[in-house]
Amino acid sequence: MFFEQLSGNLVQGLVLGSVYGMATMGLSLIFGVLQVVNVGHGAFIMVGAFTALILFQSLGVPPIFAIPVALVIGMLLGMLFYYGAVKPLVSPSGTGIRKVGRKQLGKAAGVFVAVMIAMRILSGILDLNIAFSIFIAIILMYSFLVYVYGGRRQEKGPELATLLVTFSLGVILEEVVKQIFTSEARGYNWDLGKLDLGFTVLPLTKILASGGSLTVAVLLYLWFNKTRAGMAMRSVVEDSVGARVCGVNVDWQYALSFSLGIGLTVTSGVLLTMFIPVGINPYMGGGYTLKAFVIAVLGGLASPYGAFFGGIVFGLLENGSYTLLAALPGGEPFALTRFFSFVMLLVILLIRPTGLLRRKG
Amino acid sequence: MRGTGKYLPIVPVLAAYALLLLYGVATPGKWQLVAQLAFYCALGQAFNLFMGMTGYVDFGYVAFLGVGTYGMAVTISSLSDGGLGLGIILIGFLVAAVFSTLLAMAVGAVALRLRGAYFAIATIGVNEGFRYLIEGARIWNGADGIIFSRHLKTALGRKMAMSVSTFWADIFVFGVAVLAAVLTLYYLRNKVGYALLALREDEDAAKVMGIDVTRFKIIAFITSAALAGLLGASGWALKLTYVYPPDVFEIHYTVEAIIIVLLGGAGTLMGPIAGGLIYGVSKYFLAITLPGFQLLIFAPIIIAIIVIFPEGLVGILKGKVHGTRLEKYVI
Repeated sequence: MFFEQLSGNLVQGLVLGSVYGMATMGLSLIFGVLQVVNVGHGAFIMVGAFTALILFQSLGVPPIFAIPVALVIGMLLGMLFYYGAVKPLVSPSGTGIRKVGRKQLGKAAGVFVAVMIAMRILSGILDLNIAFSIFIAIILMYSFLVYVYGGRRQEKGPELATLLVTFSLGVILEEVVKQIFTSEARGYNWDLGKLDLGFTVLPLTKILASGGSLTVAVLLYLWFNKTRAGMAMRSVVEDSVGARVCGVNVDWQYALSFSLGIGLTVTSGVLLTMFIPVGINPYMGGGYTLKAFVIAVLGGLASPYGAFFGGIVFGLLENGSYTLLAALPGGEPFALTRFFSFVMLLVILLIRPTGLLRRKG
Repeated sequence: MRGTGKYLPIVPVLAAYALLLLYGVATPGKWQLVAQLAFYCALGQAFNLFMGMTGYVDFGYVAFLGVGTYGMAVTISSLSDGGLGLGIILIGFLVAAVFSTLLAMAVGAVALRLRGAYFAIATIGVNEGFRYLIEGARIWNGADGIIFSRHLKTALGRKMAMSVSTFWADIFVFGVAVLAAVLTLYYLRNKVGYALLALREDEDAAKVMGIDVTRFKIIAFITSAALAGLLGASGWALKLTYVYPPDVFEIHYTVEAIIIVLLGGAGTLMGPIAGGLIYGVSKYFLAITLPGFQLLIFAPIIIAIIVIFPEGLVGILKGKVHGTRLEKYVI
């Protein structure tokens, strides 16, 4: 009975783990190329989940066809966030520190007031929420400042800065989604039938999700190893100065990999919805951020394939440990597995910070 | 800088807290706002002690407040029949400090060996991890939390219990804020601060110079965590008289701490006060005018500060007073 349960859970873990792996590839890609840890990772997964939900509920699009939509949305978001917030902090062609003068500040304040007035008028016409228009005004003023001072790079503490910026981007996404869809948990039901393995039952949708993430992983592998564009990106990971010398446009590779990384993450959010029948809400990402970090560290942090295999290992460990923890008396196995993943993160960071699969030179 | 002159920057800090306290006592109906502002200043001061001085971001910081809250809650709910009177609160603070110090030692033992991004990754799970440990292993009543208003009344009497949770808890918050400011200044003006400054600028160079960076990081980390524990014990436990895991392990408080420190200027003494007051007041008015939008408005502001004014308000002020007679008061 126990072993039947354990093997059943392990099969479920394998299927879920492959999707976890895909959900982490974007994180690893971004870290590999830009050396930026996307602390807002989970929020992008949440965007993917909402994409699937909305396409399914209001347009009847099966989630599997939501994948390309999610990829496009994710890549656009990635481009927007890269040029809007991340680029000034990481761009290799920054022009050094420039102080923002009083005159420029005055200009920015002028733009802000103008935008505010415009928003106020618009909100009268279009019935926009006033608060929302203030938010948009802040964003626009901010984009203006970044546009004027784009290319300004900080000399020190870029790590701290990028952590805080990606974190805030995640918060922005969560809050925007909360304003639009409220924070109640939603879900949808997409049923294609089940596959009975004797000791466990797998819904076909989960198998489809697992197959989808495997396909994406293989495509990414081929792209990295067989195409010029993929190899250019890899060259930036290996040695960004060397790549620049060889004529690779490092700036563009940064933008592209950030955007691709976010695209992959949003796509994985679509696949993850097949595993959470009623768990789609604006704050669902937090748990996945933690899991993605464990997985990325398992796989060596900078390697997307490492992340994929790390995901499978993690899925097996998580579901396996669930069975074992459920056997303990007096505990809540679900909460304990989440504690377990945190402990695993610390242990791996302590003993093998370069990842379990390979040692980086 | 030598002699007593090196501690002069504490003057404006104490003045700011005294004015805030006076305003709160003298103006009817504003005590809650003042208490909230003091909480934000204290949170910023305590958080700044580690993040500002080392440049490491601890995303799991709120866990220290959480265990501090539990320290007070557990003490009061289990010792209320002991006839300790007000001594129970003192013991509660001690237990809170011990709990958060122990957690800081456990987390620090792993995380402080790591640098930069790896440190942030290691800490981001601390509050979630600890919350699920409490809920999963059913420690301290698990997910049900501890409600101890009844115990507080048994221990102190109804009237005293009321005044503790409506007035004295906030005074304790002021106390934590002042304590954090004093410790920050002491560190800044002594070996710890110089070592951490060297570490923040270039960790490898600091190591090569023979600075035991790990030791100083641990000192700052544990001090900051213990202060958070005291803050949780006063600002949350005593004030609310209940503790509930999802409330005290809520990552939004870490975000608030980050905003406050960055607004005011990381690594400065007065920064957290400036940041705490600005953040607290604007949040107060936003909560009235635009409820539910605070985070949405503050998140872009964090990005804007980082990209455009990385040195924060007090950082800018420091540049302005450089070379003038005010210089020795601003740090």
